[in-house]
This record gives sequence, structure tokens and C-alpha cells, in this order.
Amino acid sequence: MTAAFDIILCLLILGTAGIALFVRDALAAIAFFIAFGNLLGLAWLGLDAVNVALAEIALGAGVTGVLLILARARLLALGDDATCADTSAWLRVGALAACGGFVLLLAAAVLSIPPESGLDRAITPLMPALGIENRVTGVLLAFRAYDTLLESFVLLGALVAVWSLAPAGVWPGRPADLGMADGPMRRVAGSFARFLLPVALVMATYLVWAGSDVPGGAFQAGTVLAGGLIVSAIGGAIGLPRSDLPGLRVALVLGPLVFLLIGLAGTGFGGFLVYPEGLAKAAMLSIEYSLFLSIGATLALLVTGPNVIGLADPAGGTERKSDC
Amino acid sequence: MADWFTLAAVFLLLSVAVALGRCWRGPGPVERIMAAQLAGTGVIGVAVVLGAARRDAAMLDAALIGTLLAAVAVTAFARSAAKPGDRPEGRG
Repeated sequence: MTAAFDIILCLLILGTAGIALFVRDALAAIAFFIAFGNLLGLAWLGLDAVNVALAEIALGAGVTGVLLILARARLLALGDDATCADTSAWLRVGALAACGGFVLLLAAAVLSIPPESGLDRAITPLMPALGIENRVTGVLLAFRAYDTLLESFVLLGALVAVWSLAPAGVWPGRPADLGMADGPMRRVAGSFARFLLPVALVMATYLVWAGSDVPGGAFQAGTVLAGGLIVSAIGGAIGLPRSDLPGLRVALVLGPLVFLLIGLAGTGFGGFLVYPEGLAKAAMLSIEYSLFLSIGATLALLVTGPNVIGLADPAGGTERKSDC
Repeated sequence: MADWFTLAAVFLLLSVAVALGRCWRGPGPVERIMAAQLAGTGVIGVAVVLGAARRDAAMLDAALIGTLLAAVAVTAFARSAAKPGDRPEGRG
């Protein structure tokens, strides 16, 4: 019976991925992409990799789906028909060759890993010193903390890159207005957002706290917070702040900054990003809670983007044409 | 007991496949997004059943996150689809 489950799941994943890639209608592609992300999350659950499943369902299916839906709406508003343009045959063949080669390389790399070489054996004896039980969090915030620190700066850099695309006329103003245009629908969305935002806050806070011992963590929690913020912005329950507001800037850099400061403080205990003995859990939780706030705010602003619709510049519409 | 849960998971997965068929058929954007939401509900059901079969409460967290963010996606879609005079009650 388990084999039947696995086979159906694999077929569904391959099918949704194929349709999302090849369908012409942008909205159908988005719908299948969201379904694909959810099914991929199930596959990770089936492999008992719950940490990865949480990230896939939250980021891959959840926030990326919202981003694509809003991006399509914005393209339509800017006069782009958001359909796939015809590409030349050699470009398709080239893309197929490049992607196929990469898949083969990846498959060879995965198959060359001996089954017994998991990190488990190396990490399990080191975990008691950290005072937490979730080994993934241990790797992310202690053993390979340097990678996570850089990742948190990458996210901030992505927001700076998106902001730098803002036309001069709207900078530094409010981000794009996500609010529902229709009055009654706005009220429905508003009361729904007032219900959802507190739930999202509780859920996100729980995910960070639980991340020490069971699957969870700052990235998943930040995604949930961003989801709550986006729904609130759509319903008009909160207004997204101007991008030059000092408080917003503090919220955006808080996570990476706290991470960096705690890492620098570690030089007094033996090296960069070394946590003092007995305080490892406290240090990691401080990092995770500040990271969670920054990730939530950054993702919400990344999805929203600068306000370009208000410019109503038809000439700008032509250079915005994407070739899919 | 776990076998029954696995059976239920297979059944739910098949219902997801049917929902995806409707998503493929469409024909309109609303049908597609609602079918994708239905498929998402089925996936969340599978996550809950898997969590019960393996006695892993963390899988319920995955289901919760999926639920919460699916609501965001459908709200974002309703926003982009909303045009003045295009109310659901007009379509019965």
C-alpha cells in the first residue's frame, strides 16, 4: 500500500511539474505550480524530512504562489498579456540540453552518495552541548552558522535589488498598494485579515520556538508572518510603511545584525560564531526570533514590490515586455 | 491501524488527482484556482493522515502552514480577479 502511495505521488509530481512548464496560460501554470509545491512537500513528508517539507510548503507553494499570482495581476495591469511568447527552436533545444545535463549531473551526484554517509553520526554526539534536539536547527545555526548568516544577508540583498528597480518618481514612497479595489470585497478581506494575522503571529512564534526541538525554524516562521502581513495589506487591515521609515529599516536589518553581533561576540569564546557554553540555546533563539521578524518583513516587501502602477506611463510598458 | 491510514492517504491522493483534472479542464481562472485550492485541501488531508500513521505531530504543523498560506493565495487571486461589477452573486 505504501508503494502505491509513493507511485501515485511521484506520478502526480511529474505530471503537475510538466503541466506547469508547458501550459500556455499563465494562471494555469501558476495553479499547477502551487499544486506541484504542495505535492513536493508531501514527498518530503513521506521521506520523514519534515523540516524540508515545512520549507517547501511555506516557501515553494505558499509565498511563491502568492508572488506569482500578484506578479501576473501586475503584468496585466501594466498592459502585458502575460502569455508565453514563441521562442526559437534552437533556444528550446539549448535550454533542454542545459537542463538535461544539469539533471544528469545532479542525479549522478545524488546516486554517488553512499546510503550510510548521512551527517547523523557526526552530529548526534555534538547535539547535547547545544541544548537543543532538532539536528537541522543545530546544523543551520551552530555547525554551519556561517552559511545561514550569509543567507540572511542574501535575502536583504534581494530586497535592495528589488527596491533599486523602483522608478525615481515613487522612491522612497509606499510599496505597491495591494488593497482590494472593490469596496465590499475589501471589507470581507479586511475582517478575514484581522482574523488571520493574529493566527499567523501565534503560529509563527510557535514555529520558531518549536524549531529548537522539533521541525520548524525562522525561515518557515518568517514565511507565515509574511503571509499574514500580505493578507492584511490586501484587506486594508494594515498599511505597508514607506520604505524610508526608520522603524522599518531597523526591522529589516535586525535579524542579520543580531546574528552578526552574536557571531562577533563569539570571538571572545574561541572564534567567530562560537557560542558560549551553556548559552548556546539562548543565543540561537535570540538569533532565530530576530531573524524571523526580519525575514517576515523582507518577504512581505519582496512580494509587494515598489509602486510602479501609479506612474501610468505607457511608454514604460513596452520595455517591460517579458519574453516569458 | 497504520494500514488504514495509508489506505486513506492513497484515497485522498486519488481525489487530489481528480481535482487536478478539473484544474486542467478549467475553463476559467476561477475554476482553475478553486481546483488548485481543492487539490491543496487534499494534500493537507494527506499530511494529517501521514502524521497520524507515523505518529509524528510535526506533520500537523506542515498541514497548518499549508492551510494558512492557501488562504493568502486565494485572497491574492480574488484581489487580482476583482473588477467592479464582477461580483459572485451576479453569476449565481
